[in-house]
Amino acid sequence: MTAPPIEARGLEQSFGFTPVLRDVNLRVEPGAGVLICGRNGAGKSTLLSLLAGLGTPTAGEALLFGSPSNRLAPALRRRLGLLSHQSFLYPNLTARENLTFFCALYRIHNPAPLVQSWIERVGLAAAAEERVRGFSRGMEQRLALARALLPTPDVLLMDEPFTALDPEGAALAAALVREALARGCAVLLTAHQVAQPGSLALAPYELVRGRLVRLDAALNLRDSAPSGSGGAEGSRRNSPTVV
Amino acid sequence: MNHKAATLTGLLTLALMLLALFMVFDWVPTEAEQGIVQRIFYFHVACAWVSFAAFGLVALCGIFYLWLGHEIFDELGYTAAEAGMVFCTLVLITGSIWAKPIWGTWWTWDSRLTTTLILWLLYGGYLMLRAMGGDSPQTARFAAVVGIVAAADVPVIIVSVRLWRTIHPAVLVTRQGGHGLEDPRMVATLLVSLAAFTALMVWLLMLRIALLRAGARLRGLAREVGLARAAVQDL
Amino acid sequence: MAGFAAILRKDLRLELRAGESVLTLVALALLILVVMVFALNPAGGARDAGTAAGALWVALIFAGTMGATRSLAAERENGCLRALLLSPVDRATLFCAKLTAAFIFMAIAEAAAVFVLVLFFNLDFDARLLRLGPSLALGALGFAALVTLLAAIAGRLRAGDLLLPLLAVPMFVPALIAGVKGGELALAGSPLGAAAQWLKLLAAFDVLFLSAGYLLFEYAIGDD
Repeated sequence: MTAPPIEARGLEQSFGFTPVLRDVNLRVEPGAGVLICGRNGAGKSTLLSLLAGLGTPTAGEALLFGSPSNRLAPALRRRLGLLSHQSFLYPNLTARENLTFFCALYRIHNPAPLVQSWIERVGLAAAAEERVRGFSRGMEQRLALARALLPTPDVLLMDEPFTALDPEGAALAAALVREALARGCAVLLTAHQVAQPGSLALAPYELVRGRLVRLDAALNLRDSAPSGSGGAEGSRRNSPTVV
Repeated sequence: MNHKAATLTGLLTLALMLLALFMVFDWVPTEAEQGIVQRIFYFHVACAWVSFAAFGLVALCGIFYLWLGHEIFDELGYTAAEAGMVFCTLVLITGSIWAKPIWGTWWTWDSRLTTTLILWLLYGGYLMLRAMGGDSPQTARFAAVVGIVAAADVPVIIVSVRLWRTIHPAVLVTRQGGHGLEDPRMVATLLVSLAAFTALMVWLLMLRIALLRAGARLRGLAREVGLARAAVQDL
Repeated sequence: MAGFAAILRKDLRLELRAGESVLTLVALALLILVVMVFALNPAGGARDAGTAAGALWVALIFAGTMGATRSLAAERENGCLRALLLSPVDRATLFCAKLTAAFIFMAIAEAAAVFVLVLFFNLDFDARLLRLGPSLALGALGFAALVTLLAAIAGRLRAGDLLLPLLAVPMFVPALIAGVKGGELALAGSPLGAAAQWLKLLAAFDVLFLSAGYLLFEYAIGDD
């Protein structure tokens, strides 16, 4: 059985006395999507960074395609797409130059038509020859989306992708995510709230004090059942879930 | 077991040091040309040997750490650098003390002392890196890289400084450093001194590593306290 | 090696557009040369070849260490370095590209510094300057390798720009010695053969740091 594209096993990250992530277990299969929400500082970005292979966990493993994410072979790195708070764009290059550069890094031959189609897809055709330095946050985010999806990754990790976008942009992003899911990409998003734009059928989770908790899929809301006996109750459970 | 080994090493160091002190100050004959001051040579050379050896150890540990990843290599490398720094400073100080009565200046730019000065600067840079980086596997990797590169550079430094010195004739005649010891008692004293300082370094390494290990255990405990506290808050 | 060409081209293009590195290097080198003239009060001319060579290398080293952190710092803006590390590009390839860019910028700064040196130290624009070429080129190459490797480390630390010269300068001593000696011989009018041992030393230094950088850059660039 092939390893799942995204997997976390007993993942833990502590900084001194503060455990940011505790015993996080997660599996995301190809074509499946996961949404992780939580308050500020809940550990969403930390989890995403560890999954992307940036940093070493205190305990446990973060795996991509079955390999430890912080020691990925180049061939596997090509299949990973990351959308972060940072845009990963060079301010003094134009939109087109940025995308063309990343095509070269990802060994995409004859990049010009692909770059052109992506520029149009994210609605930046008018600003294609403008330097990113002059872009608004929303434009930057659109271009960042194009950059992440351009090499058609099999794993897509996105850190709060909808926050910087206007409703149009958010709809575009949702459409792109839906497309990625449809072609078998495994997707993991983080967000502040659990509401999913564009009715993406992502499995919702929440990071509560470092633990990853599956939320009720039907209600998309956290069940407020009391957890007096300390066991798994109601729709709140922490489980290694195969999505 | 570690505690016992450290204690034994400490006792051995003490014994060797006492013997060395006796030999240097009482037993070995005074050197004809330079007089009593020459006795500092036995400590000076011993410290120099230890400081260069320690640097090699830093680099070796760096290689093993990058290759195998065991924390012990990182700890050993760090402590070797600290010990090496101490002994390197002693080389420079004893060199100065030696130079003043013999040649009338506090510092000479002869090739060996110059090389030691550069080694001292490299040690300083390594330790500053450690201080700035804090405790993390990333800092350990950085330190390993710097240690390896610096050690690989040392032979080139030695050659270049030696070439530099032959072009500008030294203001002062170069001291002898190991050859030119006619009396076998001098050789014996030097060897004992070398052994004593090596034992001292090993002992310091053991003590320091124990401290580092304790620090690592504390960090592990901090982590467990944090986890336990969070688990309590779950209830 | 497609990544190498892409990264190098990108760096050169960015430099042409925003042009911080070369200008900073040249400006700093010029400033330091001015300071050296005030400090050393040289008589000038071929007799002062040693002083001129020394001043030149002082200027290059300190301008170089100050300018080095900028190159990688620019990559960290918007997290682009992270993007490079996440891409399929080899760490060693990234090192080669960064090193080549640093070498080119350094070479340009050296040319400018030599020009200013001739003016300040009453030298002549003649064949002797050409004989400076090999030692300056080899020195720039070794320096670029050394500084690219160390800047990767220093860039991740607070007060890293203090650490960089502290580590780089002692490590650079062999090349400094050889470069100044070679430069002195060249400016005094000696044929290139006289500087052979210094050029060999520089070449050995370069080989050391090019290979060390190539092998160790992946550890120096960090994982985050």
